[in-house]
Amino acid sequence: MSAIKTEGLTKRYGEKKAVDGLDLTVEKGEIFSLLGTNGAGKTTTVKMLSTLIGKTAGKAEIFGLDTEKDRQKIRQLINISPQETAIAQNLTVRENLEFMAGAYGIKNPAKKIEELTEKFGLSPVLEQKGKTLSGGWQRKLSIAIALINEPKLLFLDEPTLGLDVIARKELWSVIEAMRGEVTVILTTHYMEEAEKLSDRVAVMSSGKLRAMGTPQEIIKQSGKDNFEDAFVSLATGGEF
Amino acid sequence: MRALNFAKRNFKEIMRDPLSIIFALILPLFLLFIFQQFDIPGEAYKLENFTPGIIVFGFSFLTLFTATLVSKDRESALLSRLGVSPMRGSDYVLGYLLAVLPMALMQNILFFAAALLLGLDFSAGILLCAALSLPISLLFIGLGILVGSCVGERASSGVGSIAVQLVAFTGGLYFDASMMGGFFATLCKILPFSGTVDILRGALAQNANGLLIPALTVLIYTAAILTAAVMLFTKRMRS
Repeated sequence: MSAIKTEGLTKRYGEKKAVDGLDLTVEKGEIFSLLGTNGAGKTTTVKMLSTLIGKTAGKAEIFGLDTEKDRQKIRQLINISPQETAIAQNLTVRENLEFMAGAYGIKNPAKKIEELTEKFGLSPVLEQKGKTLSGGWQRKLSIAIALINEPKLLFLDEPTLGLDVIARKELWSVIEAMRGEVTVILTTHYMEEAEKLSDRVAVMSSGKLRAMGTPQEIIKQSGKDNFEDAFVSLATGGEF
Repeated sequence: MRALNFAKRNFKEIMRDPLSIIFALILPLFLLFIFQQFDIPGEAYKLENFTPGIIVFGFSFLTLFTATLVSKDRESALLSRLGVSPMRGSDYVLGYLLAVLPMALMQNILFFAAALLLGLDFSAGILLCAALSLPISLLFIGLGILVGSCVGERASSGVGSIAVQLVAFTGGLYFDASMMGGFFATLCKILPFSGTVDILRGALAQNANGLLIPALTVLIYTAAILTAAVMLFTKRMRS
């Protein structure tokens, strides 16, 4: 059984098709990147797959469960770190973790929080309020929170946006460590990041899937020399 | 349990925002003191009538900052994150209600303590009034959730302020609405705020005469507003 399987997945806002007939299969344990320019339909796809919004047409399954009918079951298996840093700003790091543990009904929250604190090195900022954290710490906390329920499928929507190079590399190692254990759906504008981290990537533009495969396959398919040029070529229909 | 967890977070957010406390606790308290320093003619300004009015006026600030909290949450990515958790629409609404209720209790304690200091006689009516005010506060908190579900963060403080003004002018806090007549008197009858003040005044006086209609009006409004709040909030979460 695949982690994600979509057939003709479509989301329409009025006349505009944000996602248009997406056929996608993501296997368990993969790090899979959704790439595309702004407005390509990546975030809408993530929102549909994570059960945040409904679809207009087509089929979407998460571990064989329907995203519309089995929404509550799916929510026990997934988590998300949204594009903006999604933490409670007036709560401390510890309180944020406790709060999210409560939202998922985690049985032994103290143990889980200790584990995540160690994994993400959160000890120095544990009693600091969310709003006083640097961008890097906020992102780390955001991903730590997303792992609170030990998800089988994790959506990371532009997790390293706006981070400095050191914070970005730190997060890469965190994401790398999940390979094989958690299925990760990553959206990013950084091609270097997608190439380094992803087992496979999908390139979207104007809501449609333009190409899918390993970074090497994408380069080959486009006939370009490197991954960034391959992406630009595929995303623009060969215009550049 | 999930609602309680969410309420705990909301309560912390509220208590860590000094503006909420200033508006909901200090401003009504200030008005209670100031208006009792002058010998203003009129039944509304007698301490036994003005104190219940001040409680309801304080509740209108619960509408204001609940609306702000909800709209701010809605616009933040935090609710997107919670949107994929097993929490349901009713958990959110219950979480907001339970978080703001302690503030309503604090208002009661503070305003009645002040009123006693100013000369209000202690009676069982005080306890009855405080007890009845808590379910009444649900109307105001529910209204805040509804406003916060309808409009964005910027607009929510504006709409919330309109609610504060409506309560002040149609609640019979400063003057008897029947004195005005015409459209204004009709508006006071249609809206539930004067009913809430009447119920609390009746409770303080331990006199239930003429309170059936206000009680029914407040009950219907509270049920309708809470139902609408759950439905709209859930719809917004899915859009």
